[in-house]
Amino acid sequence: MKLLTSKVFFRAVLIFNSFSILLPVFFLINSSLRSSNDFASNPMKLATHPYWQNFSQVWADGAFATYLKNSVIITGGSLIFILVFSLGAGFVLGRYSFKGQSLVTGFILSGMLVPAKLAILPLFIQLKWMHLLDSQLGLILVYASGALPAGIFIMSGFFRSLPVDLDNAARVDGASELQVLRKVLVPLVKPGIAIVAIYSAIPIWNDFFLPLVFIQSPEKKTIMQGLTLFFGEYSSQWGIIFAGLLIAALPLIILYLVLSEQFIKGLTAGAVKG
Amino acid sequence: MAKQGLKRQQNRMAAVLLLPGLLTVLVFTSIPALTTLSYAFFHWQGFQRGSFAGLENFRRLFAFPFKDQLLMAFRHNILVFVGIYIVQTSIGILLAYALFKAPRGQRFFRTVAFFPVIFSLVIVGYMWQSILNPFYGPVNYIFHAIHWDFAAQTWLGNTSTALPTLVFINLWRWVGFPTIIFLAGFNAISTDYVEAARIDGATEGQIFRKILLPLLAPSMTIVTILTFIGAFEWFDLPYVLGGSSGGPAGATDTLALMFYRLSFGSVDSGANQIGIGSALGVIIFAVVGVGATYGSKFLRAREVEA
Amino acid sequence: MTKMQRSLRGLLAAAIAATTIVVPAVVSSSAHAAVELSFWSWRPEDKAFYEAEAAMFLKSTGISVKFTPYVATDYNATLATALTAGKGPDVMQIRAYGGMANLSDAGNFLALTTKDVPALAKVAPGMLAGAQGYTDKQQFGFPYSTSVLGVMYNPDLLSKAGVTVMPTSMSSFLSVLQKVKAAGITPLGNGTGYAPGLEQMWGALAPAYYGGSSFFNDLVAGKKTFTDTAFVASLKAETDLYKYMPAGASGLDYNTARGLFANGKAAFYIGGNYEISYFRSLNPNLKVGWFPGPAATVGGRRYVTTWADGAFAVNAKTSHKAEAIKFLNFLSSKAFLTAAANQLGWIPPLSGITSSEPAIAQMQQKIPTMGTPFLTLVGFRYGTPTSSSIMQPGFQKVAAGTQTVAELAKTIQDGVATWYKPLAGK
Repeated sequence: MKLLTSKVFFRAVLIFNSFSILLPVFFLINSSLRSSNDFASNPMKLATHPYWQNFSQVWADGAFATYLKNSVIITGGSLIFILVFSLGAGFVLGRYSFKGQSLVTGFILSGMLVPAKLAILPLFIQLKWMHLLDSQLGLILVYASGALPAGIFIMSGFFRSLPVDLDNAARVDGASELQVLRKVLVPLVKPGIAIVAIYSAIPIWNDFFLPLVFIQSPEKKTIMQGLTLFFGEYSSQWGIIFAGLLIAALPLIILYLVLSEQFIKGLTAGAVKG
Repeated sequence: MAKQGLKRQQNRMAAVLLLPGLLTVLVFTSIPALTTLSYAFFHWQGFQRGSFAGLENFRRLFAFPFKDQLLMAFRHNILVFVGIYIVQTSIGILLAYALFKAPRGQRFFRTVAFFPVIFSLVIVGYMWQSILNPFYGPVNYIFHAIHWDFAAQTWLGNTSTALPTLVFINLWRWVGFPTIIFLAGFNAISTDYVEAARIDGATEGQIFRKILLPLLAPSMTIVTILTFIGAFEWFDLPYVLGGSSGGPAGATDTLALMFYRLSFGSVDSGANQIGIGSALGVIIFAVVGVGATYGSKFLRAREVEA
Repeated sequence: MTKMQRSLRGLLAAAIAATTIVVPAVVSSSAHAAVELSFWSWRPEDKAFYEAEAAMFLKSTGISVKFTPYVATDYNATLATALTAGKGPDVMQIRAYGGMANLSDAGNFLALTTKDVPALAKVAPGMLAGAQGYTDKQQFGFPYSTSVLGVMYNPDLLSKAGVTVMPTSMSSFLSVLQKVKAAGITPLGNGTGYAPGLEQMWGALAPAYYGGSSFFNDLVAGKKTFTDTAFVASLKAETDLYKYMPAGASGLDYNTARGLFANGKAAFYIGGNYEISYFRSLNPNLKVGWFPGPAATVGGRRYVTTWADGAFAVNAKTSHKAEAIKFLNFLSSKAFLTAAANQLGWIPPLSGITSSEPAIAQMQQKIPTMGTPFLTLVGFRYGTPTSSSIMQPGFQKVAAGTQTVAELAKTIQDGVATWYKPLAGK
């Protein structure tokens, strides 16, 4: 019992967990640096002589750059809608009181429960009718709509937590409502903006399902969808596939390594406020 | 006067700022969801809607040959929920408590634990498929090397190990999430309670069981509800690893995979069944909606008692 | 301007900029100077071949073709959504028989005549049926290759095990497998992990048990059922071979299984002509022998199971109809089909094309005398559940010991009977 509560035990648990998490990732990186034949002969060897050709071959395939660009456009475009709209709606819900407020809140909460996948067929037919199929804008709006309820919810929590006097003081100084939002409150909810941005961007970047159904033109496909094609084309050239996987994961990995504190703080803040 | 002007200005602002967001959600989430509901009550020929069908689609979903699939998939969703919930929550609490009690290097350990959460399931799936591959994967390679041949299973290919293996992969990818939530929960607990108990002579184990764990209830509610929703909408991981038919032999089939097959047809069947698929969609939605709503009400009420 | 003002204004400007970037990208894609046909397939592994052929087509006609492959398992959903959206390709590879019935019934594929595509006149009726409407018998595609099932073997490994004479009956096949196993060589490369492979394995062995085309016709007419003892025996013929599969067969995915045979780690592989190009891609020097599925009894009749692998079709809504038909004629030309026979292991539907691959040439030879339609694929794919969708996981259940072959036969019968009227209530 003493052992189970000692710091040594906890440290051991944490070290063991880190190993379990990092070992598969290490396998991925190591294998991406080995030639496919080398890998086939023994999956466990270290890549002592990095085989960079895997990466250059992925890049030479050409489509990867297009896929990456499309993913950036789609993730970035969605984020802009999500942030602008959830700032506005979060402000109204967090700072104002008006008739029908609980109705609006209920509506947003119900939006959080609907998975886009289950509404995929009507959405498909509706997008066709709106001429938004095979369109990056269409996909962006669908993603935005999926992330907005949570975004609005989190933002309204942040707005609500600010002292009431803040905006009144500004109003007394003659600020308009829009100015109150822009000048006084937005700077104070920046952490909230970061949370909403990060937690909206991850699933959008990683999604492979909606582009499969809503995007038809090969030149508009996203990176995760492109990856699945890659598996077929290079079916047993493991080195190349592993390199492709790494390239696809790299943007989020870099973002995570730079902003890991925001990722983690954001999650807890969002969870506590939500 | 001034106050009325402010109110009017605020009403206008409220409309301008609320509407774009609400409209987006209405058009691209709520309306399609309601339309799914209506699809379930029509006959369908491919992608063409036919006549009104009443409850026919629901009846067919609960009759041969779909019934067996439905019940098996539903059973898998329940097993996955229970499995993920028990394993992920207990390991999450252990890791969070370890981070809480041994804060040195917390930043590093936390960052690592949460790292896989950012990986796409396309990547997670292929990576684990390679690691667990019975022929060139390192896991069985190691087992063979140490002559533990009995342990060298075909993890994803065996009907009895496939689903537990998926739960394990899910654990690897997702355990950082409950960990961080629970860590925040531990941090939010006032140190006064702990200090008071310690002065009263309580052991660390007693403090954990009698004070920390009950006060962790709000975090527990969040994790439970999110796990529940995730488990009953489980699609991506089984799709990436077992294909749309939930291979091997349907051992990893879930309600969402079945919904996908009915909606789009599978490789060996060109005939899709949108009506029956939508009926299933309605059922999944009902399970998730009702479960999440009443579950969170129930759990929140317990929080207060604790 | 304050810092906050700037940040908000920047955000709005970015929002507007994003929409203006995205919107033109959506609009501009339809304008093309020269004609470029889009051509879709479910074979990412054949990309290099098709691109080389498209370059030749461009050279002779000035029409360029953009080849886009999709993952096979996603292809049906992708094509269905694209055609329904009106965003489909000009020309596409389609699955045979009922594999895309929902799309053909909805009139997505251009009806073809022998005037449009003269090569159609030279294709056998059984093949043509692979791309015809189930009820109206309208031709909507050119079936490009006959698939043939059988047993492939590695002659080097077999001679190492002391096997020189190829088996002709199941009993001799089983004793050969036993002999190979005793020599310490994995007899069979197939695994039970890849479900469609189990149906194809069955297709290679089964007709000898149920008696080929006459049983097929009786079943289609409702005179016999899937619970027939001959049919049950055909299921058992396959499951009897499971013990000769490699250890861990239940976890063998398709490519790993084929890789075992290609890399000389298994003596036999039961499958189709289309496996050989994959074997070659892994091991160009591999020797591949072939024989038709063994007879059920010594001296009994042998069959080779055949079906149309797929077809090439033209989008009914294409805006480049003339060019698309020109390309279809290229795809049905002797030159193209010869290249495909040599490089992809196709068995072209036109006579007079012989593959340079000896095993393929041998298959071609046997079709006229031993050919019989692939029962589950050709006959029972026009409704849900298909016989395939029950058989494939069913075999996995038998392998896992949770189902018997008799129960499997019963489930197929009951499942197909829900939509196939001649079998209903039997």
